[in-house]
Amino acid sequence: MTTAPAAPPDSTPAGSTPAVRTGPPPADPAERRARATQSFWTAVVGVPAVFSVLRLGVEAGGELQTTLLLVSNVGTVNLLAGFLTTAAALLSTALVAVFALGAVLRVSVERMPPGIRRPLFARWVDITPAWFAVASFLLALVTWRLLYLPLLLPAFVAAFQLDPGRLHEKRVPRILLLAVGFAGYLWLLGPTVLDAGRQGEVLAVVLLVVPPVLALFVTGPLPAAVTRPLASVTEAAVLAMLVWAALPVISTPVLPLTVTTVESAPGVTEDIRGHVVTVDDVSMVLLQERGGVRYVPVDQVRAQVLCPSEEELPRRQLRVRDFHVEDSLLEGLGRRVRPVYRIDAACRTVT
Amino acid sequence: MSEVFSRRRLRSLATTLAVALMLTLAAAAGCDNHREPPLPSVLDKLHESHVDGQAKLKIGVSETEPLMGELRNGVHVGFDVEIARYIATSLGFGGEQRIQWVALATEERIPALQSGTVDMVVSSFSMTEEREKLVRFAGPYLVTQQEAMVPTRLRDQVRTIEDLRRPGLKVCTSGGSTTEAELEKHQVQTYVVKTVGDCVQGIRKGRYDVVSSDETILAGYRSQYPTEFEIVDLPFGTSELLGVGVPIGDPALRDLVAFFLQKSYLEGRARGSSPWLSAYNRTIGPWLKPDPDKSQPQPLDVPKLVDFDDKAPR
Repeated sequence: MTTAPAAPPDSTPAGSTPAVRTGPPPADPAERRARATQSFWTAVVGVPAVFSVLRLGVEAGGELQTTLLLVSNVGTVNLLAGFLTTAAALLSTALVAVFALGAVLRVSVERMPPGIRRPLFARWVDITPAWFAVASFLLALVTWRLLYLPLLLPAFVAAFQLDPGRLHEKRVPRILLLAVGFAGYLWLLGPTVLDAGRQGEVLAVVLLVVPPVLALFVTGPLPAAVTRPLASVTEAAVLAMLVWAALPVISTPVLPLTVTTVESAPGVTEDIRGHVVTVDDVSMVLLQERGGVRYVPVDQVRAQVLCPSEEELPRRQLRVRDFHVEDSLLEGLGRRVRPVYRIDAACRTVT
Repeated sequence: MSEVFSRRRLRSLATTLAVALMLTLAAAAGCDNHREPPLPSVLDKLHESHVDGQAKLKIGVSETEPLMGELRNGVHVGFDVEIARYIATSLGFGGEQRIQWVALATEERIPALQSGTVDMVVSSFSMTEEREKLVRFAGPYLVTQQEAMVPTRLRDQVRTIEDLRRPGLKVCTSGGSTTEAELEKHQVQTYVVKTVGDCVQGIRKGRYDVVSSDETILAGYRSQYPTEFEIVDLPFGTSELLGVGVPIGDPALRDLVAFFLQKSYLEGRARGSSPWLSAYNRTIGPWLKPDPDKSQPQPLDVPKLVDFDDKAPR
């Protein structure tokens, strides 16, 4: 991730009250800071590395020798870049969830009697610099699918506790500003919402319409009775979400999918669907999609095409101003740069 | 004081509701991300179809209809052939080595589909209710009319359908065609031969006087003998919808063909160029009545399918 902090997350954001704890006495601040820095960098380097190695194992089909072949041929940088490409959305989702819930829990705890142990997410929010939270939201903005992007609005409002009252101190201008904001939002998404309604996509309609309304109410403290259970439930939920969503990330291929046409004897051709591991002067090493490694002599290779994988198939036919709802902003912009998408015939029939 | 208190309670209640709804929505979005696609994909349909896994796609075409489907120097050319190539490539059978061309006469088209000799027929196949009981059609990919073609010496003598009924005038057509049925309906005595080409050769040898068939087929023969023949615009009143025929037992293949024809249709409307338009302009276009706005007819009963290129900008 390009937004990794240059300095450790050590400062308490301005305006927040110091944490009230009932546990052991706080350690020396310098020591705590050093420990936090160490754990932060361990996580930044370690988590992607562990994930990447796990992914290689899955990609190799669980075979030790194939895993070793991949390990020896896939560069560390490529592996990390590949990991971040597929995991950026998941990573930003986790961060956004923590910051939004943490901020709500923090203001709720502040209203509660002193002596209560602060929820984990609230403590994390305490020690995270604001710029890191903003960077996480920016990452989410460009990597989340457009259909889920409206959820980012209430999450942002919650994370930074942006009460509607901040818009204007007087009631009428405030309502007017909000009305203008909603009108703009509806102008942008109106056609998509109508289209989703016509197609009977109830969830899509709800996901597009409801979040901005929630943004009006999501700030402010929760009742004391709700705060405690919410803190524990959401901690478990975010952890479960991470594990659940990490499984597809681990099984996402590391190498691009191709169909290679091989002429093993004059006039006899064969199409091999698989991932190119490496090419040297003698052979092209292909990891077949169904499993198994093929060493194909390079002089027998007649053609090769890049193919999409089945996971890339869209699920809906909905667009927001010509951007597909299942694309992220980054992907949508990328499609503007290379607007023509060609599926080679070989990708359809070779399995 | 109590008003402030109740306001605050209301506010915190609203926050609770909003947070709960927010979490529900996020969970719903997460589950939605993992569910099966609601719309079938091109790949799903391809797996359902009988052509899935075949080494070659067997396509029935004509080899004797100039401009539509003919064999010239060992190579299949013509409008029907180009459309067939476009569909084959879209289905994953790219290149000549993945296509097996099967030459079919007019009356062989339905039996060939029924017996499995071919996987599809692209050969000036008119979509009719009668035929739809025996095969499936995707299309139309071309709308044409029935016309008559006469040698130049007779151009002033044949102008109406009445003229065709004149005793002594020998009208020829191909067997099993819609033209044969149409002429019968108008009580025109006909000589029925195997292909329209036989009629044309027969006229050149003096055996027949008039040949009646689809405008597109006749235009093809006229392109071969531009000085010998003329096409007469007869008011038969029925238009012929040419479609791609597939076996009746393979609805998935029909859906796929219709989907790809629609794709070309939409491309033509959006960009002004499409596989259909380039095939048309390369083959029959210049030989038909000039029409600068000629565009592909919209295919009927096109299913909603998702494909990899759905996300591309339109």
